[in-house]
Amino acid sequence: MVRYFTRLRVRRIYKWGGRPYIFDRKLKSYGFDVEGQEAVTTVTPGQYILIEGNDDEYPFVAKLLKLFGDESHKQKKALVQWFLRLSEVPQNKKLLLGRSPHPQEIFYYLGRACDDEINAESILGTVHVQHVPEDTPFPEPGTKDTLYVKLSWDTKAFNVLDPVLMQDTSASTPPKPAESIHSASKLSASKILSAKRRGSAADTPGVRKKLQLSIGASECLYLRIRNYRAAAMKRRPIVRKRPIVRKRPIVRKRPWRGRPEEEIARPPSGPHTKRPARRYVWLWNLLDNTQELISDGDDDCFVPSKKELQSSSNEEKTDSEEETDSEEETVVKKTRGRNCKTSVRTPHKTPSKKVTPSTPRCATPCIPSRTVPARQPGNILEEARARLHVSSVPESLPCREQEFQDIYNFVESKVMDGTGGCMYISGVPGTGKTATIHEVIRCLQHASDMDEIPTFRFIEINGMKMTDPHQAYVQILQKLTDQKVTADHAAALLEKRFSNPAPKKETTVLLVDELDLLWTRKQNVMYNLFDWPTRRHARLVVLTIANTMDLPERIMINRVASRLGLTRMSFQPYSFKQLQQIITSRLNKVKAFEEDALQLVSRKVAALSGDARRCLDICRRATEICEHSASHPSSAGLVKMSHVMEALDEMFSSSYITAIRCASLQEQLFLRAVIAEFRRLGLEEATFQQVFVQHRTLSRVEGLQPISLSEGLAVCQRLGACRLLLLEASRLDMLQRVRLNVSQDDVLYALKPVRD
Amino acid sequence: MCTLSRQRKGSIHELVQMILRERFCHQRLPEKPVGMESQHKHLLELLRRTAVHGESNSVLIVGPRGSGKTMLLNCVLRELLEVKDVNKNVLPVHLNGLLQTDDRIALKEITRQLNLENVVGDKVFGSFAENLAFLLEALKKGDRSSSRPVLFILDEFDLFAHHKNQTLLYNLLDVSQSAQAPVAVIGLTCRLDVLELLEKRVKSRFSHRQIHLLSSLSFIQYLDNVRSQLSLPQDFPDTKFYDEWNDSIKTLCEDQLVVDVLQSHYNSSKDFRSLQLLLMLALSRVSASKPAIKPTDLLEASRVCMVDSKANILHGLSILELCLIIAMKHLNDIYEGEPFNFQMVHNEFKKFLQRKSHSIHNFDKPVVIKAFEHLQQLELIKSMDSSTAKIQKEYQLMKLLLDHSQIMEALQKYPQCPTDVKQWAMSAFG
Repeated sequence: MVRYFTRLRVRRIYKWGGRPYIFDRKLKSYGFDVEGQEAVTTVTPGQYILIEGNDDEYPFVAKLLKLFGDESHKQKKALVQWFLRLSEVPQNKKLLLGRSPHPQEIFYYLGRACDDEINAESILGTVHVQHVPEDTPFPEPGTKDTLYVKLSWDTKAFNVLDPVLMQDTSASTPPKPAESIHSASKLSASKILSAKRRGSAADTPGVRKKLQLSIGASECLYLRIRNYRAAAMKRRPIVRKRPIVRKRPIVRKRPWRGRPEEEIARPPSGPHTKRPARRYVWLWNLLDNTQELISDGDDDCFVPSKKELQSSSNEEKTDSEEETDSEEETVVKKTRGRNCKTSVRTPHKTPSKKVTPSTPRCATPCIPSRTVPARQPGNILEEARARLHVSSVPESLPCREQEFQDIYNFVESKVMDGTGGCMYISGVPGTGKTATIHEVIRCLQHASDMDEIPTFRFIEINGMKMTDPHQAYVQILQKLTDQKVTADHAAALLEKRFSNPAPKKETTVLLVDELDLLWTRKQNVMYNLFDWPTRRHARLVVLTIANTMDLPERIMINRVASRLGLTRMSFQPYSFKQLQQIITSRLNKVKAFEEDALQLVSRKVAALSGDARRCLDICRRATEICEHSASHPSSAGLVKMSHVMEALDEMFSSSYITAIRCASLQEQLFLRAVIAEFRRLGLEEATFQQVFVQHRTLSRVEGLQPISLSEGLAVCQRLGACRLLLLEASRLDMLQRVRLNVSQDDVLYALKPVRD
Repeated sequence: MCTLSRQRKGSIHELVQMILRERFCHQRLPEKPVGMESQHKHLLELLRRTAVHGESNSVLIVGPRGSGKTMLLNCVLRELLEVKDVNKNVLPVHLNGLLQTDDRIALKEITRQLNLENVVGDKVFGSFAENLAFLLEALKKGDRSSSRPVLFILDEFDLFAHHKNQTLLYNLLDVSQSAQAPVAVIGLTCRLDVLELLEKRVKSRFSHRQIHLLSSLSFIQYLDNVRSQLSLPQDFPDTKFYDEWNDSIKTLCEDQLVVDVLQSHYNSSKDFRSLQLLLMLALSRVSASKPAIKPTDLLEASRVCMVDSKANILHGLSILELCLIIAMKHLNDIYEGEPFNFQMVHNEFKKFLQRKSHSIHNFDKPVVIKAFEHLQQLELIKSMDSSTAKIQKEYQLMKLLLDHSQIMEALQKYPQCPTDVKQWAMSAFG
């Protein structure tokens, strides 16, 4: 889903509330029981919180266990228990769930890989999490803003969540201060929406500043009002559907934006107007369109029920709407339809969004399934053929032990240390580069399942599988977070992801296949790919593959080549012994080939290219020939030398000679005329006109009726279409130059009368 | 009575025309491809394995134009779809290098033909990158045993190799070499050197299976083929006419004149398409009053087929234009094929007028220029330098695109050609 709304800057202010108490431990750290966020949202330990993450729309979820600060009061820290969304579960493990997830489902995280101490200033707000017992269904999707937890995730499997883990919070909750009236359970729908919206508008932590309440009120206000306006427009469609209970007529003629100071002076109700801090709070209430009015101090005993909250917030919304765009009403109305479509937030991956004919972008890519299942191989030769197919994944990967070990060690050490790095792997096609890396990743994933190394994520892109080098960003981001954005935006998001410290980060292993295709004039794609791993917080391992050994020196500018580093590896073409071993290991005791036949294939391929794909294809073809040559398919014996020879012949022999032999008489005559003319001129090139004179003479010698010029041209064009001749553009007519695409000797050999 | 029988005859001839024309022009598939049994078996087996076992494959069918590549493939597909298991199980995708000139169009076409879910009606949504990602994702999700095999048929395969980075070929062949949805990539091309066009990564992923269609048809088989092409099918309604017609065809093929005509055609090319054109021309002379193909019909048809197009154009020229051509011919003789310009031709022509001409009076220079330009428009002469704007028209260097023999032949046939012009043409030097 592509989203383009502009990021609104929101500043959040974090302030301790309540009484600090000193830890039992001798540590000099203070513990604070309350933290104020945005002056109104109060977060207490035991609550479920949203934490700023990479995905603006889906912030991280966790339960707050403890809040504390260091001596200098500079750092506010929090201890949390993490929850995972399904999108955070590694791609390959999602299937373990075994059912389609509830859109609001989260999982209790039992792993150890994630740091549970976070910076308290990354907390966005609170959220309601509800534990659903294992065998009860999820509540109706009506309550969209509550997250449900049913299972736990321990990096390997989903387990039933022990309800005790979820219950202990209420017992240990410290006495709440006055402000904590709206605890998580009382959060209204709009509150979470606003929290989410704030999340979506969150700035990078670097920009965020701690602000005291007293400073820069007008400056903040301006920003907030803008933010508010945008939010109001977004939410309008929801508001309009509901009956509006207006309690208080509003007479405002100006939109807010113009004069914030003046507007502040007008409170919604009398008693709260005097203190500037209050005013400030009230403004926030408006911004959030929530019931936070009540938390303002004096009337804290008033706890509205949900329904009331709803209506009051509605009222607030309508009010604020009136306030903001009474003048612009008409304008907004015109654009409303479009606004509704573009800005109403629909969470992705909800089932309701899938496959409707009018929304093709959510279509699921799949090939229709077959009605009759594919037949399994019936006899030995078919079995052998299935095993010899390049696509079949062998049980083991022979012959690349050293390379395997090197790559394994490289990636393993990086994953263990939580650092990043680059590696460049080169080799001619068909030498097992990609296969080896996949094998390494398989082994590492197994090791991480066994808890030997931390978990990591593996993603793969291929330069050939994208239309444009910049699509690399899009694909990486999509594989990391399932977001679909434009290339520029994706680059920015990835940049942010890899350069900022974030909680809960696991190492990412990125395989870039066909690296040379990612070349651009400025080389910024390559630059970024190699630059990210060097960032401190990136935890990115980049493995790159290309065919040429000296690619870094040849096409990369210095600053890119330097970042790629010197960790290089080159895959040599397979020797005949290795090829033989590959086939034998693939066949794995299926006896279909004679030893000599195998040796012949591997020697031949090793001598020509050392391409394992070629080797397997020839073997496969040989089994076919063997099957066809037998009188009855079941009676076919082993693949013999002769079959392999035939297959080799088919694949390696050039067809030019056969083509010349099968050409028509005039075509053969023309080729002879070409050679005769070449000899006469002493050049390897002649015009059609010159050749045609020779052709005519030759046909007289042969006793044939000379053909007309048009027909001669047609003969020439036919030979050119087969590429026996190389021709100039045909509009040059008889002045086009003719060259042979075969050696003269080959032509003469082919034209010699065959004795049989 | 008489009219009735004539009408019946007429309708019979219409029927004959219809049956045979469909055979010649609509590329109706024959019952069994002739002279390519082993290739047929190879291809059928290969596609059958893809369809039934879900084995991915790639193959190239290589052969000169008109050698029956498409016919072979269509025969195999027809046969394949007759198999019960296969019928509902394969998704053929037809692409042509002349139509899908770049990967963007090709991808849209593939998606449309596969009818994936980003197709609405006949439209494919999304950008190029999205389409590619979508298709690859779709193919990746499939597996050998459960998803339907896709047959990608790439006509004019060599043109796909000219696409940027050969992205499409790489991806199709990559899918055929990995454990994804089963596909068969079938390329048809007339270029023998097609593998050299493939980039090394693409080439490595291609299975190197090539089916060559190089007909080693002998003349006897060629004649047989002509006979079977002209014969009426067994289920022809009028048995009497059927016998008559087939007998007449048999005698026709034994006629010496016909054999000579066919021999010269066979010598020129073994291509079936040109043969069908010849037979078509002969067939079009059959009518109710002329119930059978005569040897002379075939001769006439062959003359039409083999006619020299430029000699034909020469017949339509004016005497002035013809004179200019002769002047050019003499210039070619004198300067051994060096290019000439209008001024030279005009001088040559004037010399002829002064010295030898009796029948042709003088022309004004603008008239001669006009004639010269007309010759250029007919592309009987061709300007040698590419930048035409700079040089004055009279001094542009030209070359003659005609052979001596063509000029002489045209002069012989030219109606009422003045004798002095003829003599001038035949004289050694202007």
